Amino acid sequence: MSSKSSVDRAASAARFPRDMVIGFCIVVLCAIAYWITLSIAEAPAAVAQNVQPATFPRLVISVIAILAVVLMAISFRKDSRPGKSVPAMVAMTGAMMLAFVISFEVLGFILTMVLFCFTMPVIWGERRWHAVIPFAVLFPGAIYALFALGLGVHFDAGILGF
Amino acid sequence: MDAFLTALSAFSDPYLLTVILIGTLGGVLVGAMPGLSSTMATALLLPFTLTMDPIPAISLLSALYCAGTFGGSITAILVNAPGAPPAAATAFDGYPLAQKGQAGMALGMAAVSSVIGGVFSVVVLIVAAPLLSRVAYNFGPPEYFALALFGLSMLATISGESALKNLIGGAFGVLLATVGMDFTTGVDRFTFGYWELTEGIHFIPVMIGLFAGCEFLTQASKLKQSRVRAVLEAVKLPGWADFKRCFGTICRSCGIGSFIGLLPAEGGTVAAMIGYNEAKRWAKDKSQFGKGDLRGIAGPEAANNAATGAAMVPTLALGIPGSATTAIILGALLAHGLRPGPHLFIETPSLLYAIFLSMLIANFAFAAFGFLGAKLFARVTLIPTEFLWPSVFVLASIGAYAMDQSIMDVWIMVLAGLFGFVLKRYGFSAAPIIMGLILGELVENSLKQSLIIFDHEWIQFLERPIVVTFLVLTMASMIWPLVTLFRTRRQERKAANAAQN
Repeated sequence: MSSKSSVDRAASAARFPRDMVIGFCIVVLCAIAYWITLSIAEAPAAVAQNVQPATFPRLVISVIAILAVVLMAISFRKDSRPGKSVPAMVAMTGAMMLAFVISFEVLGFILTMVLFCFTMPVIWGERRWHAVIPFAVLFPGAIYALFALGLGVHFDAGILGF
Repeated sequence: MDAFLTALSAFSDPYLLTVILIGTLGGVLVGAMPGLSSTMATALLLPFTLTMDPIPAISLLSALYCAGTFGGSITAILVNAPGAPPAAATAFDGYPLAQKGQAGMALGMAAVSSVIGGVFSVVVLIVAAPLLSRVAYNFGPPEYFALALFGLSMLATISGESALKNLIGGAFGVLLATVGMDFTTGVDRFTFGYWELTEGIHFIPVMIGLFAGCEFLTQASKLKQSRVRAVLEAVKLPGWADFKRCFGTICRSCGIGSFIGLLPAEGGTVAAMIGYNEAKRWAKDKSQFGKGDLRGIAGPEAANNAATGAAMVPTLALGIPGSATTAIILGALLAHGLRPGPHLFIETPSLLYAIFLSMLIANFAFAAFGFLGAKLFARVTLIPTEFLWPSVFVLASIGAYAMDQSIMDVWIMVLAGLFGFVLKRYGFSAAPIIMGLILGELVENSLKQSLIIFDHEWIQFLERPIVVTFLVLTMASMIWPLVTLFRTRRQERKAANAAQN
């Protein structure tokens, strides 16, 4: 028991504080963002009036980087317990969000909504088909009636023509 | 006076009154639903209000804002699940009272103190906003730059794990605001060849994604959690003796909430926590706090509602949001082509009076809805998550799309949702990013204009007293959380050493 806890303590000590890792990632992202600003075109001096288009973004990136370094500096001595792992359901839901937008472009608005409203409750564990099927049909129908017919929002048709 | 009469006459229109009542009812409902906050609801609703005239649109959002703050207390008391963050402190004593079979009394006290706090805050708004705007009338670009910096620095003190992370979030929002064409030079920045990004990243899809998309993922991680519902008898008004016992607490919380609300970037959550702590600190008999003391409900509820109107003061008078929800209302004003600040008070005073009146009506209406429909509102928690949240996500997508009918906005919403979830896991909040995104344009433009005025001599910033005042306040609000952090760490170290010895 005691040997196990000493191993835990050693592992905890060896682990970097979480905020230090976050700060480091932010600094790296800032370096990338700064590098991207190098490709921003320069404006003629008369138009730019000594403030080039890249000046302000670079200033903000520098501020973020400085704050990230301060975050790393004060993360020492902080408890570095690992965070809870992300449940697989979250990853699945995130994938469904991306699939929704891709499908929106390919299959069109109506079909995407019907598929999403059917699939999402099922993925989340709902098995009451007498509730899932009406929801998948009626909710998209109501949304279509409200936005397309009522508010005149135009939705592009998908590959099936609607 | 003419403007007031114009606004008053607008309220004789049944359409406007209906819109306010719908907003209030919607606010209580979304406020009661754990996870669905008034902030998210205003973000979701904003694109649909763009087709409305400014007065009904902003009145609707303002009513939703006021009612949502109160709505959170219903589920905080009945199911120990605060419907919105500002109601978190209400659950400390509300739920124990509900378990004792006094849920009706607890809800009654929440409603009464919320109305008092809310009405007080509207009075503060009516008095303070025009005064502040008069001061701001003399502001030039350097003053606005310093003010926007102060607003962003206040992010260090809002709720969230870390002051530094809030500042990083705010700065990231400012960076996001630089995407698109630079208005002075016409040069594209960070567009990566996508013409849709030339006009910049609109804050509405980002807002919807960070609030609704992120919460959709959060709900996916807690599907198996169940809640216990308390039995609710009829909601009843607190007796005179109860009211007398809580009166001092309510008065104190009105002051606390209004002060906190007035500070840029602060909001109802901070006000409620301080309101609760002060209610406890001032109480002679503290033994019942946490076990079901009515003062533990009156304190946070009066404070969080008192922050609503007050948070509108910097939003309307200076264009600096007082809270996350007012940031969205500020966004709505901008989307309707209105620029908050002194000019708003001169050019469209009737709109301002309409906002004041709609908030006043909403405050009384939510109390009526609370008394009449608390049982029903408590039932919204019974809507299965498996149906509710996919519906919210679909609405969020349509909201993002409907604004410009652009699929790029749906992509931005979804990516903001995924990104927001990752950020939330690592202790970052959505509100600072939104505030940074909204204030970004003001910061950049006012800085550029100032530099041109000063002929690039930065030292001239220090020759203007208002600028110096704001810069000092900015430094103080950034340094103070660090001082507090080091002090807490030192105390912890001392306590640990004492325990070892």
